[in-house]
Amino acid sequence: MSILEGLRFYAGETAVHRLDPRVKFLLSVLMLVIVVMYTEVWVLMALMSVQAAMAYAAKVLGRWLKTMKGSLPLAALVFLLNAAFFLSTGAYGSVQEMLYHSAALAYRLVLFLSSFSIFFLTTTPEEIGLTLTSWRVPYTYTFAFISAIRFTPIIAQELKDIMDAQRSRGVELDRGGPIERARRLVPILVPLLANALRRAYELAEAMEVKCFGATKRRTSLRELRMGPKDYATLLVSLALFFLAVYCRVFLL
Amino acid sequence: MIKFDSVTYVYPTGVRALSGISVEIGKGELVALMGENGAGKTTFIKHLNGLLKPTSGRVYVDGKDTRSLSVAQLSRKVGIVFQNAEDMFFLPTVEEEVAFSLRNLGFDEGTVRRRVDWALRFMELEAYRNRSPFLLSGGEKKRLALAIILAWNPQVVAMDEPTVGQDSVQKEKLKEMVRQMVLQGRTVIISTHDVEFVAELRPRVILMSKGRIVADGRAEDILTDAGLLEGCSLLMPQVAATMSRLRDLGFDAKVISVEDAVKSIVERLRAVEHTRGS
Repeated sequence: MSILEGLRFYAGETAVHRLDPRVKFLLSVLMLVIVVMYTEVWVLMALMSVQAAMAYAAKVLGRWLKTMKGSLPLAALVFLLNAAFFLSTGAYGSVQEMLYHSAALAYRLVLFLSSFSIFFLTTTPEEIGLTLTSWRVPYTYTFAFISAIRFTPIIAQELKDIMDAQRSRGVELDRGGPIERARRLVPILVPLLANALRRAYELAEAMEVKCFGATKRRTSLRELRMGPKDYATLLVSLALFFLAVYCRVFLL
Repeated sequence: MIKFDSVTYVYPTGVRALSGISVEIGKGELVALMGENGAGKTTFIKHLNGLLKPTSGRVYVDGKDTRSLSVAQLSRKVGIVFQNAEDMFFLPTVEEEVAFSLRNLGFDEGTVRRRVDWALRFMELEAYRNRSPFLLSGGEKKRLALAIILAWNPQVVAMDEPTVGQDSVQKEKLKEMVRQMVLQGRTVIISTHDVEFVAELRPRVILMSKGRIVADGRAEDILTDAGLLEGCSLLMPQVAATMSRLRDLGFDAKVISVEDAVKSIVERLRAVEHTRGS
């Protein structure tokens, strides 16, 4: 659940919040590419420090850390799967080497999530919509995407409420073997799906009432414009990215 | 029956929902938990069956610390009906929905059949036993949620905002069922900000605001205190507001229900008539 918390927008008036969403998105993508290029833990650590500094500047450090905490079970799974794979194939000579690489791959996953977490924590769904529109993504798809982001926390809350309601009538979600536990998910998933469908119908009705799609040409009250700070951030990010690429190709 | 001993609860998000709550609720009591949105009413209710355990302090149900019992164990004693009844429904028929909880709690098939029949009859849902729960009206859904809980005969029944989205007739039915549950000797706790609903039931009122209990007493005393209610974003029931305006004419201002108001007005008129006659 805490992973979802990290993908939710929190209002703020910081420099990171004010940054053009396209720049923030590109920054996240660049960090992602660097994560893919490197498996050296010290590089990943350096990258994480940059992200932590950004999260601190955006006053979302606590929530960003929560995303990372939430991704730990998934990271542990990646670690175990990789360790099992390396062991079975004998891809690495020593155990230390095998453990190091498994840990690096698990760490990578945490960084994947954390780099996008800062973007989502500091960018409103409207700004995400504007970003996609500026890249000529059809508005129907953009709307579907931002609706998904908007409804995620609501559905997460609904999931909690349903779990509470079912536990209150004696459903013990944590007991029994894997098959028994999977069977116990039915009382959770059916109401969740029913609620989601009802919400979808309500949203469709609300959209129709507001004449969604009545005009082909959409205008926007707010348009994205890059300022000097956005260009400066973009330049510095690109410079550091190419430096990382250069180091990977020629030095390391 | 229920004891909150300096209970504080802080959600993982850092929101302090309960701050040092201490209260005792006896067996067979009818209690209305009132207060503004975000006062901590739902958090309070979720402590009754162990869905939430106190961050500090203790909650005792029937003398046992809730921290030492599972939700399933506590649910045998405390049944909670949540605001959104549909959160419970997932089976094809009303009958199966009621039977599911009983089977979960380990009742044998004979008892399950008997209890299902009783609960559906009590909640006036017999005619709908083979219908999908999702096809019931709002009021029927609420009654089904209550039937599901009552079927296993809990000593305490807690309802979170039971009147939301209910029409007047459904509210009347609900009121009648609450009275019957109290007559059966159950402890009934209703969390609501529907002052009109509470006024007619005349329960003990626990008034909450910002995670604290600001008043605890008879409905007649609390629901006629305009200042106290205003501090919790509540208004006096219409009957109480009317009687309060008539106070200068010698009417009893601590009247909240229609029945008592009629009685008070008739008494006053008779007294006036008597004075004139003599």
